[in-house]
Amino acid sequence: MTDAVALRPWRRTPSATLGLYLHFMRFSFLEYLAFRLRYYTGVVSYTIFVAGNYYLYGALYASRPAQPDEPITLGGLTLAEMVTYVGLSWIGRSFYFNNVDRELSGQIREGHIAMLLLKPVHAQTMYACRAFGEAAFRLLMFTLPIVLVVGPLFGLLAPPHPSLYGWTLLSFLLALLVNTQINFLVGCLAFYLKNILGVIRAKMVLMEFLTGVLVPFTFFPDWVQRAVGWLPFQAISYIPVMTYLGRRSGDDLARGLLIQAAWAVGLLAAGRWLWNRSVRHVTLQGG
Amino acid sequence: MSLNRLITVSHLTKDYRTSRRREGVRGGLIDLLRPQRRVVRAVEDVSFTIDEGEMVGYIGANGAGKSTTIKMLTGILTPTAGEVRVGGLVPYEERQRYTRHIGVVFGQRTQLWWDLAVVESLRLLKKIYEVDDALYEAQLALFDDLLQIRELLHQPVRKLSLGQRMRCDLAAALLHRPRILFLDEPTIGLDVVAKQSVRNFLKETRDRLGTTVILTTHDLGDIQELCRRIMIIDHGRLLFDGTIDELRGRVGDRVRVRVELWDPAPASALAECTTGLPVKWEEHDGQEHAVEFSRRDVRAAEVIRHVVNARRVHDISIQEPTIEEVVRQIYRTGVVAGTARSSEASPHD
Repeated sequence: MTDAVALRPWRRTPSATLGLYLHFMRFSFLEYLAFRLRYYTGVVSYTIFVAGNYYLYGALYASRPAQPDEPITLGGLTLAEMVTYVGLSWIGRSFYFNNVDRELSGQIREGHIAMLLLKPVHAQTMYACRAFGEAAFRLLMFTLPIVLVVGPLFGLLAPPHPSLYGWTLLSFLLALLVNTQINFLVGCLAFYLKNILGVIRAKMVLMEFLTGVLVPFTFFPDWVQRAVGWLPFQAISYIPVMTYLGRRSGDDLARGLLIQAAWAVGLLAAGRWLWNRSVRHVTLQGG
Repeated sequence: MSLNRLITVSHLTKDYRTSRRREGVRGGLIDLLRPQRRVVRAVEDVSFTIDEGEMVGYIGANGAGKSTTIKMLTGILTPTAGEVRVGGLVPYEERQRYTRHIGVVFGQRTQLWWDLAVVESLRLLKKIYEVDDALYEAQLALFDDLLQIRELLHQPVRKLSLGQRMRCDLAAALLHRPRILFLDEPTIGLDVVAKQSVRNFLKETRDRLGTTVILTTHDLGDIQELCRRIMIIDHGRLLFDGTIDELRGRVGDRVRVRVELWDPAPASALAECTTGLPVKWEEHDGQEHAVEFSRRDVRAAEVIRHVVNARRVHDISIQEPTIEEVVRQIYRTGVVAGTARSSEASPHD
């Protein structure tokens, strides 16, 4: 018994594959460009967040008894450094934040994921590329305006050394990678959970705390600091912001970037594993 | 064995595991601790082969197992038992490499990007399938010729009507010129005009591109117009696989003759003039009468001759049963004698 008609197992050429994933990036950049108005109001709300913290910390530092010759510090940071910490945290967040978790879980919940499975596309790479396209849009239309408003308004400090601009940028790029993979993992949970939106909302609140956006880790007791050191979330905000402030120099700076890179690789592997597992689950169970 | 066989399905079976809910609060609590699992067999021991270039209609009621079969053929569902081979590939094992050769349209679902202009989706598909510029242009020209999609290309998908969207979805599914096209309910919810345009397009596709087409539908009109071969599935089992004429033949080739007389007469009077013929007149009084019989037993001309010789007849008409009626009869009687390919009893029944 033979099948006379044979189908050739097909593969895209590498250059076409590269072109495709660049296209996904361009595609999501354009999609977000259509919604740019929404982000103008975002500039205002981010500025208000930073302003709130600015006055809060101002009052907190003012209530401390002044020492002669020594500036007041809280958690090892002076007031100017603290304001820079908060400002840069929110500036960073405006860049690395993305909607991969919402997008992916929505596709899964509405059953559109079947259409994706029917195409020769690597889902994890596609979603990463969509996140990079979104990040490029955010950098241009969201982060840049926020820098221009928040920077002069609250007198954010320059880093102690100009080379730190470059290291901070690299560190935030790694942060984007880590955050994207966490979002991909959370999105995949929609294969198993009914109320994924609740999980996503909880994750958002938890992340603000665990990434160090809300309060620097130096405020926490030792054991909490040690505990968050074992989690991937510090790689998203705490490490890049401390790099900018010059609190990581020499070996420490390199180690911070390595921690970020290690988390990026580890989470990529975890995402790949969970995706494959989930696809096997739906193709067996019919979703 | 056929020289251009493309698809071989053997003893395909698919079970779903579902959990059954108990009633009431108490039941809900028990469900938390000990969920009641139940296995539902959606497809049972289905076997068939399809040659390249065939257009096959796959019909069945809701929940009969149509979509489950299609999902296994497209590779997004793994069978519980049995095997699918398409041109030497096993869809659910080599999904990514297999998908290049197929196009899929789910009537209820679009593969176009909702917020973007149709042409953006097509451009993305061009990249996904590595379609070169020449083929892309040729395909667009063909689709515009058959589906008039040019004026829709620059509209966002969410603004299209269902019929317009279906035309664009067909174009999207065929852009990379796949060898096989799977259609799950392609005409569902469409009006008469849109339906006709989809059907014409599918006919042209088969004739011009030689695409193998497998379509599931509720609408027997689709089948009648498009497919020479049909497969009927019910409760997960294949009840019939053959041509429409064969199907008519298998259910007995029933025919119905209506007679309108000049003068009123009871049914018994007509039965009298057809004595000796294996026919039974319906109990009517008056001028209008009807008789049903199998063509295998007696020819219609014979019956009519008997009536015309004995009575003054005003009008006569012959009605063949519609495909709907034939299929309904198959559902009612279950397995059709001689055609069942999956009649062995299953231990799970």
